[in-house]
Amino acid sequence: MDHIIFEVGTALLLVAIAALLANKFNFSIIPFLIILGMIVGPHAPSIGILDFRFIESAEFISLLGRIGVLFLLFYLGLEFSIGKLIRSGKSIVTGGSIYLLINFTGGLLYGYFAGFPLLEVLIIAGIITISSSAIVAKVLVDLRRTGNTETELILGIIMFEDIFLAVYLSVISGLVLGGGTTLGESLLSIVIALAYMLTFFVIARKATPLLNRMLKIASDEVFIIVVFAALFFVAGFSETIHVAEAIGALLLGLVFSETDQGERIEHLVIPFRDFFGAIFFFSFGLSIDPTTLLDAVWLALGAVVLTIVGNFVAGMIAGRKSGLSHKASANIGLTIVSRGEFSIIVANLGIAGGLMDILSPFSALYVLTLAILGPIMTKESKRIFLFLNRIFKWTTIKPKMR
Amino acid sequence: MDMREVDLPGIGRKFEAVTRRGDKVVLIVHDDGRREIHHYDDDDFDESISSVTFTDEEARQMAGILGGLVYKPKDLEKIELELDDLVIEWVKINEDSIAINRTIADLDIRNRYDISIIALLKADKSKTLNPGADTLIQKGDTIVFSGERQHVRAATKTLFLTEGGG
Repeated sequence: MDHIIFEVGTALLLVAIAALLANKFNFSIIPFLIILGMIVGPHAPSIGILDFRFIESAEFISLLGRIGVLFLLFYLGLEFSIGKLIRSGKSIVTGGSIYLLINFTGGLLYGYFAGFPLLEVLIIAGIITISSSAIVAKVLVDLRRTGNTETELILGIIMFEDIFLAVYLSVISGLVLGGGTTLGESLLSIVIALAYMLTFFVIARKATPLLNRMLKIASDEVFIIVVFAALFFVAGFSETIHVAEAIGALLLGLVFSETDQGERIEHLVIPFRDFFGAIFFFSFGLSIDPTTLLDAVWLALGAVVLTIVGNFVAGMIAGRKSGLSHKASANIGLTIVSRGEFSIIVANLGIAGGLMDILSPFSALYVLTLAILGPIMTKESKRIFLFLNRIFKWTTIKPKMR
Repeated sequence: MDMREVDLPGIGRKFEAVTRRGDKVVLIVHDDGRREIHHYDDDDFDESISSVTFTDEEARQMAGILGGLVYKPKDLEKIELELDDLVIEWVKINEDSIAINRTIADLDIRNRYDISIIALLKADKSKTLNPGADTLIQKGDTIVFSGERQHVRAATKTLFLTEGGG
């Protein structure tokens, strides 16, 4: 008998409960959904009519998750604009470059010395480098830090990372999905990916008036159909030329963000991003076999330590360089340390490309740890700063008069 | 008041200013319509001491009141009465003023600035009319003085609100 809707319904019910729980503890839903996904799955029991193994629906759920990635990156593209980056100023470019230099290099060296082959090293470095925009934004709003001086720089660095992610994903997806075995073939796939990207940039610059006319649709009903058709078609097409579908979605978002309808699309996409994004985190958890987690404990822990140190040092340098106090600079690293959606997307790319199996438990453990630890460190940043200040003696703390 | 505007990608837009009295205030307009006002510690501009969040509707309501649309304030801080070029003005001494903890005689106000002080209101609301030369000026005092427009303006700028004023 076909119970697929009921199975999906059960899954969504669990997702909803996990989301409610996360909300109750005022935490990001990302770690909750990953853990939930790991708990259920093929090894879980089937109680009466409730089947927690999700065997029949596994494929369908993972498809919904894939759609979640499309929406996540489509939205990222929409949010981002070259104009915004240019306006944001020099300190952000410097800060972002410092961050990437330290953390990406750290990631590469870590993967290399852990003895992985080149492609795995590249994936691991990607996982380690990219912060979670979702968690960082949530934490900043929740802790009421949006008004702080360092917040501008934090969000600037995040934006910088996002651009890096876009370029990096294109290159890597060419390498991993292109399946080239010789150097020439690999180079060819990279060139294709970059040319594909360039095409979109040209479209974004040159074809905006045309797109404006095409998207000038008053009816919301027709508008959403047109936009989603474009999204799925472009994303799917990208896959056929071995560029990750996520990149197609991101590039299309970039193009649309330049049109008059950019903001309308943004508002339209947010609920879809939230819903399908949640299923994506759940389905990622579902794909992890919890029994393999132990194999990756040390690898993940090492990466966690590396990330915390790398992010803190980068934040400190970037903050001090743009004239912030030591305390504000410490906040930078302690905020951007959270990992989430983008690390998983990079990891998934490696998994989809048939790279080493250890990538899944590694990325799961790594993201889980930093999705939980990150916001805690942000919240306790003051205490951490005071503690470190006692060691490094950056500033003398004046006792408060009141 | 200099208003600094910055985009906060993914969150909204930030407006930052230091008021004449030296309070650092930050206003955040969230993309979802919420508004947040943060007030920072006078001694440590990195430390937010309080903040309020308004919904879009509340913010509009507050804006009407702040903008004087609901109730027009009886000019509290600054009233200019004009008699041709003769002006009476009052100013609250802010913390950057060079006049703090000096007497009227010390500052040689009448000769150097061509203005005369008519009255002095202490922070505790006690007032001295026609204060003598040995009167001490302190932070938070309100000085009422008169003179020609240009002299009043110059004195306000250089004497009473030395920095961050205007």
